Amino acid sequence: MTKRDTSNPSFSRRGALKTLGATGLAAAALPGLSGFAQAQSSAPIRIGFQVHRTGIGAAYGRWYDRSTTAAVARINEMGGINGRPVEIVAEDDGTDPKRGAEVIEKFATQLDCDIAFGTLFSHVVMGSAPRAGELKLPYFVVSEGHHVASGILNRYTLQPGITDVKSQVQAMAPFVADNLGKKVTMIYPDFAFGHDHRDYFTAALEAQGGEVLAQIAIPPSETSFTKYFPQIPRETEVIYHVMVGPAVLTFVKEMGEFFGPNSPEIFGFIDSLEAVDMASSGLEFLEGSYFWEGNPRYAQADQSVYDKAYRAAVGVDDNGASVSDPKDVSTYAHMFGCWETLNIVKAGMEAAGYQGPADRAKLIEAVEAMSDMPHSLDHPQGAKRFNGKTHQTFGHQYISKVEGGKLVLAHTTSIEDTLYEDEVDYTTQAF
Amino acid sequence: MFRVAIALILACLSLSVWTGAALAHASEGGFVLLLPTRLYILSGCAAVALSVVIVGVMPGRWLARLFTPNALWAAPTPKLQNITSLAATAGLFALVLIGWFGPHDPLGNLLPLTIWTLWWVGFVAVQALIGDLWAWLNPWSGLAHRLQRTPPPFALPAWLGHWPGVIALLAFAVFALVDPAPDDPSRLATFVALYWLITCAGTLLFGAETWLSRAECFTILLRLFAGLAPLRRAARIKLGLPGWRLTQMPAPTPSLAVFILTLLGIGSFDGLNETFWWLTQIGVNPLEFPGRSAIIGRTTFGLLASVATLIALFAACVWAGLWITTRARPTPAAFQTAFQNWSLSVLPIAFGYHFAHFLVSFLINSQYTAVALSDPLQTGRDLFNLGDHYVSTGFLKSRDPVRTIWLTQAWVIVVAHILAVFIAHHSASQMFATRRQVLTSQLPLAVFMVLYTLFGLWLLATARGA
Repeated sequence: MTKRDTSNPSFSRRGALKTLGATGLAAAALPGLSGFAQAQSSAPIRIGFQVHRTGIGAAYGRWYDRSTTAAVARINEMGGINGRPVEIVAEDDGTDPKRGAEVIEKFATQLDCDIAFGTLFSHVVMGSAPRAGELKLPYFVVSEGHHVASGILNRYTLQPGITDVKSQVQAMAPFVADNLGKKVTMIYPDFAFGHDHRDYFTAALEAQGGEVLAQIAIPPSETSFTKYFPQIPRETEVIYHVMVGPAVLTFVKEMGEFFGPNSPEIFGFIDSLEAVDMASSGLEFLEGSYFWEGNPRYAQADQSVYDKAYRAAVGVDDNGASVSDPKDVSTYAHMFGCWETLNIVKAGMEAAGYQGPADRAKLIEAVEAMSDMPHSLDHPQGAKRFNGKTHQTFGHQYISKVEGGKLVLAHTTSIEDTLYEDEVDYTTQAF
Repeated sequence: MFRVAIALILACLSLSVWTGAALAHASEGGFVLLLPTRLYILSGCAAVALSVVIVGVMPGRWLARLFTPNALWAAPTPKLQNITSLAATAGLFALVLIGWFGPHDPLGNLLPLTIWTLWWVGFVAVQALIGDLWAWLNPWSGLAHRLQRTPPPFALPAWLGHWPGVIALLAFAVFALVDPAPDDPSRLATFVALYWLITCAGTLLFGAETWLSRAECFTILLRLFAGLAPLRRAARIKLGLPGWRLTQMPAPTPSLAVFILTLLGIGSFDGLNETFWWLTQIGVNPLEFPGRSAIIGRTTFGLLASVATLIALFAACVWAGLWITTRARPTPAAFQTAFQNWSLSVLPIAFGYHFAHFLVSFLINSQYTAVALSDPLQTGRDLFNLGDHYVSTGFLKSRDPVRTIWLTQAWVIVVAHILAVFIAHHSASQMFATRRQVLTSQLPLAVFMVLYTLFGLWLLATARGA
């Protein structure tokens, strides 16, 4: 695939639409001169974008939309896919699993979409994937959930552009055990999200010779946490926290008040504070603590040219905030997944010689055949290794330290740190 | 002395402002929970309680004077309302077509953005601040003026009162709060088209004014909210304390009184159903909201139960007030009169809840609306030359703007309750001869107002998960 210098941040929905509109007109008038006219059909490839426009996922959806729009603009600037322009057909799923399934059906039966793409929230993926399988619609999710690789979904559902929570969590154990301490107390919300962290990290830490001293499960409806901190064993060297929801800031504040300056090492997942300004008042206690980041929010001293160009394309500044509003912090740790997934869809369609819905199985086989993907503008978060059997990608994870109210990269895991035994082989399932 | 009264009212209002400014430390969602919300809530409730004391010691004629408007200048009789109404009808048709055939994205399609953001939030607020603009934009009145027969073919039975409007309002609330996809452009377009057709048929069969004033819930609602506006356009433009027009309105019918209370019940549940508390009550993990589809039955029950509870509470307060005052079981006629008259006092609260609840979503979605207006069909046009406009929610992620937003919401809630206290008291002063009777009749309702302030501020301060 030919790559152009796309550091010019001119990819936008409007630009993309103008390109599409102009191309359509040109193609209609002078087919031979169209930039997309080399293909047998210059009709757009229609990508059904299942987006959390409303409901609890709306804040994430806003940034998934921005990353998607920028990725499609770039793909179209480069000539589209197989000579055809790409068109995003956005449908709101309300962050609602039942609506998710309805949206999938709409993509397949009413909106003539070639594939479905873009879902983040796990319960929407779980609600939508069976319908995608029934309708034989390739469904590229950007969810982080372990549900794809766990084997409970189907051959039509893939997660090639973002790593899953199991690999993320287990890859933290070597760094925590080697650098922060081997005696860990975990604090997590008492439902499936927290239980995943509890189970994956406990096993991974034990494999590193460490020990989880206490597992403190916080009821999801809790908004005050002071009464839980005395449960932290005195010999704790590291606190591992993954609280989510509106009470996270209260959690951090109360933890700071409990420990004062003499706290153990603290390690958390940025999911807790995604899109929250690290310099916000009340977060001072986090100074010196560590976070997993899916993609470093702050431009680092050794920032890659790819990250620089990707930031510019999505409209994000060096602090991970919108270029139009420095207070509007992005969901930087996750939204790269949309960009990378769309580039994989492009590569897959090109490898499969994709022409239309009849080639959907070929597209899936082409993606299943993928393996190593180099760090590039197609993959600005870093190199990836896709497992065609489990339909799940693996990649580097980042651990950053809060210094001066910013996240400074402290460690990058290897891809090997993130691998685990296959739990399924989707390629054995018939289409 | 009248000036003293004004000064006391201002002192009462400033108490709520002072507490807000002094204790402010907020941000949306997470940062709100860091606020000393108990102090906020206590301060707001204290302000409303103080207003009860002030109005209690204030002579009735002062109260009457407070609600007496000043006539300003002569206003020309409006002549163009039927034309602007027809234009609004054409605009609505265009929006419905955009809903059916335009972008699928609810934040890129002008129909949901216009209905839910510009109209249901923005226009309703303007109506309550400026007056009856709806008379100009009503999408039925102009057409009915041209097409209707005089007299209309059928008469809407008098015994139906405003009950068709109550039913329509509840049906709308179910669509807005329970339906899984009220923002979906094509779904919303179908609902809008159906409602327009039903209303159009109603105006032609029963007469425009009859149908619009008794069955068309939005005209009823908007006319009531226009009664809150300090301005009124009559033979002369009049300006007075917000709500002065309510004190001059005839007593609502029982069904219109229920309509007003239903409005507040819906607004209250709209806030309540997002809270951790409510989600926990209905067995939903507030950190893992399962989507509206999963809780349709529970939300419907909550909505109807909230409305019923509010009406029952209000009725109990009215009944208790009369019972304390007359020391006898109130007659049905006396109860009905008080219930009808005092129901108008909850209108400011209903508006306060509406404003506070939707303020944040308005600030976000009005940005999407601007983008959509500049490119109505998502074809890449940029009519307003916005360039690559990124919708921002940065104002929810830093302390100062969020503090301003929170204080604005809280202030509106508190002021609305104070106004409600004044209006109810004014109404009671027309029913009872002595100040003591007025006071005792209002005691239960005053407690209700203070507790509703508590509830409203708690809704703003508590954790939300849906």
